Amino acid sequence: MATTHDMVSDRLPQGVGRWSRGWFLFMALAAIGVAIGVIGWVIEHDQGMAATGMRDLGTMGGATWGIYISMVVYFVGVSFAGITVAALIRLFNLEHLKGVARMAELLTVVALLLGALAIVVDLGQPLRGLVNLFRYARPQSPFFGTFSLVVSGYLFSSLVYLYVTSRPDAARLAESSSRLQPLYRLWAAGYEPTVDQRARDRKVTFWLALAILPLLIVAHSSLGFVFGLQVGRPGWFGTLQAPAFVVLAGVSGIGHLIVLAAIVRRVLHQKHRIGIEAFTWLGRFLMLLLFVYLYFVVVEIFTSIYQPTVTEQRISDALLTGEYAWIFWGSVAALVLPAVGLAWMAVTRTWRIGWMVLFGLMVNLGAIGKRYLVVVPSETHGQLLPYPVGAYAPSLVEYAVVLGLFSLGALLIGGFMKLFPIVEMEETP
Amino acid sequence: MTRYAMAVDLNRCQGCRACVEACKIENNTPNAVFWMHVFRLEEGEYPDTKISFLPRPCQHCNNAPCVKVCPVGARYKREDGLVLTDFDRCIGCRYCEVACPYGVNFFNWRNPDEAWNEYQVPFDDPDLAPVTGGVIPSYRNPDHDRPYGPEQRLTSGSAHFKGVIEKCTFCVHRVEQGMLPACVDTCPVGALKFGDIEDEDSPISTFLRDKESFQLLEELGTDPSVIYVGGTPPTSQAREIERPLTGV
Amino acid sequence: MTRRSIVTAAMIIIGAVLMVFAYFAGAAPWCNTTVECSNPRLEWSPAIFVAGVVIAFSSALYYSVAKDRKK
Repeated sequence: MATTHDMVSDRLPQGVGRWSRGWFLFMALAAIGVAIGVIGWVIEHDQGMAATGMRDLGTMGGATWGIYISMVVYFVGVSFAGITVAALIRLFNLEHLKGVARMAELLTVVALLLGALAIVVDLGQPLRGLVNLFRYARPQSPFFGTFSLVVSGYLFSSLVYLYVTSRPDAARLAESSSRLQPLYRLWAAGYEPTVDQRARDRKVTFWLALAILPLLIVAHSSLGFVFGLQVGRPGWFGTLQAPAFVVLAGVSGIGHLIVLAAIVRRVLHQKHRIGIEAFTWLGRFLMLLLFVYLYFVVVEIFTSIYQPTVTEQRISDALLTGEYAWIFWGSVAALVLPAVGLAWMAVTRTWRIGWMVLFGLMVNLGAIGKRYLVVVPSETHGQLLPYPVGAYAPSLVEYAVVLGLFSLGALLIGGFMKLFPIVEMEETP
Repeated sequence: MTRYAMAVDLNRCQGCRACVEACKIENNTPNAVFWMHVFRLEEGEYPDTKISFLPRPCQHCNNAPCVKVCPVGARYKREDGLVLTDFDRCIGCRYCEVACPYGVNFFNWRNPDEAWNEYQVPFDDPDLAPVTGGVIPSYRNPDHDRPYGPEQRLTSGSAHFKGVIEKCTFCVHRVEQGMLPACVDTCPVGALKFGDIEDEDSPISTFLRDKESFQLLEELGTDPSVIYVGGTPPTSQAREIERPLTGV
Repeated sequence: MTRRSIVTAAMIIIGAVLMVFAYFAGAAPWCNTTVECSNPRLEWSPAIFVAGVVIAFSSALYYSVAKDRKK
């Protein structure tokens, strides 16, 4: 049982500022992944996007939005849970979850950055995109909501939240004379744990959390609207897109958080800070979100098979029994099995972290699959004019870039963990 | 106020694809890009099949979904009815392409200088000069490098930059000089008509008067500017039985 | 009313005003029928919107970090 004070000596806690061989290997692998992604993107930028597997709809028989857009939706979705959990902890004072609050916030920030990057790699003219979106963006386009609300509003507010809640730990770390002391002094910005400061911080985090939650709902819904408002795309057009996006976001985010929390708990020996109660809460939340999402899936399937239009029939045939059936049923299984497993654990009140990590990974694979199935089948099989059915498969360049994005996330989180404690330090008695 | 529209006489169209060729040559579109497309549709089962042809340019909708979703206003609707793409502003997000119910958008997947490779003949070979007269395809129409309209935006022609989207422009570069779009001008049987639909005496208004007509995907509320006469909309049983080249 | 709470409130209000202005008045109008619909009324309005968001949420930063100095 560790002492109540994280800092026994002048050594920084949680392995901060100290390299280990395992960490080095992890970061090296992540860096290689990022390098592969960069090479892939350079090829794509140089040759034009013909280097991807995407092609035009209609006469060219391809899909023009493919795995990149699926990843945009996926990463933005993962960001949901991070700040939600952190906000809920603050709003409802969930003590046993405080150990995962900071990694939840970090997960949100990193996921949003990856989501924004995934948009940029999908643009045919990325530099123009970065300038023209700030110069000309039109609110009538659902992209405006995605770009301005999600990327700027949600990202910035999450950064502020992360910073404000990290200042006390920065001040504590600044007390010991380490190589990183100047960084911590700057980070702490003169923080003093007075009664007034703590009261102020409680107020600030409460109101921030309250402001972020509706922002989050609007941001994720606007992403759903990107698809749901398109009357010309059977399979996309519909009222369920926005709510389903929000819920699946929660599923993938909580799943991710469970995996990250379990890794941190093991690698940094944080059993005392991240207890089984934290996983119990996360597991119950995930289970609830999964049930809601699976309800949506049932509603969607039933609606699409009861009396579908000809085009919707074509799409649902491809999903249920045709070209996309393996992804569809695989993703459904990757969501149903964890739901059942979590329900079993809830009923028997035995929560096993090992199983939960597996479930966390599975639901994320399921989420990626479902995101892909939202984007692609409507393009290849959902033409309203009598074009023949199309086909799409990601190319090596696309896989490389996606690998690069995931690797960058790992790099950022791994790097953070060496600069700053990822688990909030306990308050000194 | 001028409002351009196109009428398609399905009784006359016999599927020669001269319009498709004319559009390609006039606008210098690259491989597998067909701004004008003519469906060859078959319905029924042999021997009771029915063949029909359906020319499908961009519909230049009056309530265009592509215009609504463009995040930067590169795809816009002009007061004279044309829906155009500003190639200088387009960021290549392809949202207009997924929003369009008609499938008329094409993205520049390659660099312009690598986008045409159907010509395998070495045209700079001196032995060929007497035959070709020194002409080296693809000839590029310089009209495409000028901005058009009162708004003065770069909207004409194909393959200006990689990574931007394009589509049928109703030949804005010709229309602004008082000419007809290339497809309309070329059609050997006069199946395509073009003009100011608000002018009661224009050829298109005269043609459409007192005729039964339909529009594609009317129920979606896009309010297209292309009006079809002399046939029926393609049913859900229609199959396209001739595919254009698809390799980019 | 401390100086801190006044500045915080001011930042939130300024941020909100910028956001509302940029979205409803500055950015492109909500239509798809004319050339004007494709241009913002004030160029860089989206940047102003983002600036409004940043200022509004930075108020939380300020409130937490600013030192005590009663008015």
